[in-house]
Amino acid sequence: MAESGGKAPVVALAGLPNVGKSTVFNLLTGLSQHVGNWPGKTIEQKTGMLRHDGLTIQLVDLPGTYSLTANSAEEQIARDYLVKEKPELVVAVLNAASMERSLYLVAELIELAPRLVIALNMTDVARQEGTKVDVKALEAALNIPIIPMVASRNQGVKALVEVIGQECIQPAVPRAVRHIEAGSETEGDITRIAQLLTDEDTDPYPRHWAATKLLEGDEQINKLLRERVSEGHWMEVDAFLTEKESAAITIAGLRYDWVRKILATVQQKRPIGQVSLTERLDRAATHPILGLIILLLVMGLAFAVVYGVGVPVQKFLQVSLVERVQALVFEQMTFLPGWLQGLLGDGVVGGVGMVLTFVPILLLFFLAWGFLEDVGYTARVAFVTDRYMHAIGLHGKSSLPLLLGFGCNVPAVMGTRIIESRRARLLTVLLTPLIPCTGRMAVIAVIAAAVFGGWAMLVTVGMIAFSLAVLAILGFALNRSVLGGKRAALMMELPLYHSPNPRTIGLGSWQRTAAFIKRAGTVILIVSIVVWVLSYFPGGSIEESFLADIGRGLEPLGKLMGLDWQIMVALLTSFVAKENTIATLGVLLGQESGGLTEVLREMLTPAAGMAFLVAQVLFIPCAATAACIRQETGSWRWMAFSIGLQLVLSLGLAIVVFQVAKLVGLGV
Amino acid sequence: MGSERVEEYLEAIFKRQAVETPVSTSALAEDLKVSLPAVTDMMRRLQEGGFIDYEPNKGVSLTGEGRRKAVSIVRRHRLWERFLTDILGVKWDKAHEEACRLEHAISPETEDRLASLMGDTDTCPHGHPIPDRDGNIRDQDVRPLSEFKPRQKVRISAVAREDAWLLQKVEKLGLKPGTVVSIESKDREGSMKLKLDDRKVVLEKDAARDLLATLLSTDEEITPEEEVPISALRAGESGIVKSYASGRGMLGRCLSMGFTPGSLVRMIENYGRGPILVSVCDTEVALGREIAGKIMVIRKRA
Repeated sequence: MAESGGKAPVVALAGLPNVGKSTVFNLLTGLSQHVGNWPGKTIEQKTGMLRHDGLTIQLVDLPGTYSLTANSAEEQIARDYLVKEKPELVVAVLNAASMERSLYLVAELIELAPRLVIALNMTDVARQEGTKVDVKALEAALNIPIIPMVASRNQGVKALVEVIGQECIQPAVPRAVRHIEAGSETEGDITRIAQLLTDEDTDPYPRHWAATKLLEGDEQINKLLRERVSEGHWMEVDAFLTEKESAAITIAGLRYDWVRKILATVQQKRPIGQVSLTERLDRAATHPILGLIILLLVMGLAFAVVYGVGVPVQKFLQVSLVERVQALVFEQMTFLPGWLQGLLGDGVVGGVGMVLTFVPILLLFFLAWGFLEDVGYTARVAFVTDRYMHAIGLHGKSSLPLLLGFGCNVPAVMGTRIIESRRARLLTVLLTPLIPCTGRMAVIAVIAAAVFGGWAMLVTVGMIAFSLAVLAILGFALNRSVLGGKRAALMMELPLYHSPNPRTIGLGSWQRTAAFIKRAGTVILIVSIVVWVLSYFPGGSIEESFLADIGRGLEPLGKLMGLDWQIMVALLTSFVAKENTIATLGVLLGQESGGLTEVLREMLTPAAGMAFLVAQVLFIPCAATAACIRQETGSWRWMAFSIGLQLVLSLGLAIVVFQVAKLVGLGV
Repeated sequence: MGSERVEEYLEAIFKRQAVETPVSTSALAEDLKVSLPAVTDMMRRLQEGGFIDYEPNKGVSLTGEGRRKAVSIVRRHRLWERFLTDILGVKWDKAHEEACRLEHAISPETEDRLASLMGDTDTCPHGHPIPDRDGNIRDQDVRPLSEFKPRQKVRISAVAREDAWLLQKVEKLGLKPGTVVSIESKDREGSMKLKLDDRKVVLEKDAARDLLATLLSTDEEITPEEEVPISALRAGESGIVKSYASGRGMLGRCLSMGFTPGSLVRMIENYGRGPILVSVCDTEVALGREIAGKIMVIRKRA
């Protein structure tokens, strides 16, 4: 045990997407999780600790992958981790209901992970689907320990922990690496390429493995070696690869042959003909029309729950917590100079409160979303919306972050990570801020009620439709212009429907909310303080502040939209967070008799009200969203582009709306 | 009026006539890289000179006189091209432009010398026949490669356009005139998979249209079942994956998702438009229509 003196043994979890790998990971690590990013990538990295028999084991959750050929960033991360970090043990989480596909990954893992344990998950689903796997026979055929599990019901976890502990304390002798092509015609081809390479060329990858990947057409390995291998040798390699162009198909075929041969003896399947529950449900859920209706109903229900429960909680927090603390600052801390009181009360507490009061709504939204994700419905959403997303150069997967954006644009921008193509991801990131988030909806509801009275509901729905229309047109235009017209292609697994696992949903929602608090929280707090300073100095009140000066400076522009300087200021402060508009209006206009609603009704003609709403829904992304755009695109330029684009769009369209509305007589 | 310009135009019309008659002025403008008004202007002059019949809005065709003149230019052009590539070693994608400049400045004597020097070669490097002294031109039974069908064996006889990029591509793929290829499959978008001696290449529809070929034989003995793209299966139908008409980009993902040759694919949903839903390796997979059009399967009889 001398070697483990300082460092905890590392165990990596590998597996396909949708096999319950996160559930297994959550069971093993409990709450001792750290969520971060893989170095240099915007892909989530989860690590955690497992304590067993006085031994501390570090667990790393590798991204879900179908293979270890670099078709995506996930696959590259997974295999680079195995090769470079050499974890003591790899646990392959497999789906017992989809053995063929699962074992394909095992065939790849065998070459890179000398110590392997299989967690055969979802054995209950397999039973339902009529598939029987002889675990003992499979264990013997693979020479790898196998633990059958139902992670969603906590079954088999103990046995898995035992085996992991055992392997960490007393590692089994590593298996001799067995190459998939042994004995086939391809063996000669791989050997031939391997001979043209040296171990230094392929470092840190095993030479034989690198040669296999070259034949499989792996672009990352190809690029690496092209730079390293001497030109003469590379020409030879390259010529050989061109000659063996179809080797990728042959090698994949060899792996599937190996898998099918094993399965023939260890697996019994129900004869085809019986239609599974998932398929029956999908006839409705993925139908072009019925599916869309179901989607609307599901989303409608989700929002009803989120707002129905969340808004009262939000109000309660605002009144009983934020406003009380603010009162405390203003009434009890009179020993402080006035400006410091303001800074603390309005700037700091107001900023923190903004973040805090949004937590319940977001948490609920993420719970609802996590539920839909866990039961497998979100993949259907992507499928149903695919045909519509095509019109704007995206595919169905992009609709998931966009829908998430109705809750908050921040996690939505982060959620674009599920999109493989960089181009499609960028376009989705740019379109996300056009989705009216809960913050904007709150503002729209207040203003629409104040200005349009009985028509408020219709106006609110109209504004949502309007921003979605703008989104579609902008997507279409961006796709044709800036991003150059190439379409993304859809290829996506639709997982089996299964009953939700509260633990997975809870943890996932909490992690998303925590990410919001961490990311958005700091940004909102800082910007909130800056805006407060701007709104207080030099005159000591907002009417005589820098902010007011800016607002008055913008008045000529405002006039084009029929908006006074106060409203321009309110619009500007929505950069902190969208719902800030109301707070600012409250400060600037609220003191007058009759309250904000009356004042707004007085101040805004229907034309100006309409222009205000248009400017508000389309206005630049809030600070937290902008920060996320910068992070996800890795570029200040795209962030600036996004802000500039929406600035022009919102003000431009607001002017058009006002002028047109005035012409048709709504300006009175 | 420069006689060189006239010759260029006649040559261009002659070449176009192989593809369409009458020749549209816009096609000429494209071939000669000049503006449409310039072409119309020249058409009037050529008509006055009795070289062409010109019907505005329909197009132009050469008169007997026009044809004679055009053929003689073409003969000189193609002889020069042969000389440039075979004797001087000029690359075949460069020879056309050079020949364009040389063809106008040659006396009949030099032309004869050139012809005898080139001996019995009867085509230009791009595969087009060289007319003889009397203006007779060997008839070729050629059609665009894109019009042939799977299981047919053809000989590539010529490259229709002398575009440098196209020529380079044809050379790189090893499809120079004279090459014999078998057509393995053709997908819905018209991409063709060709089998050469030892290799297979995939050719997009546009390129296949620009290659002219002659039919050698139709392989009737082996009549494999028809390969159709997955997207052609109807809900409930199954197929066995046979091949891929797409490039390497998507291949890796197709393979790791289970679309390997020999695997069984069952169509769950296909509404004719939008994405499709299939079952492969016990899993439902959604496929965008463009990918679904590139994975070829053999339909299983029910």
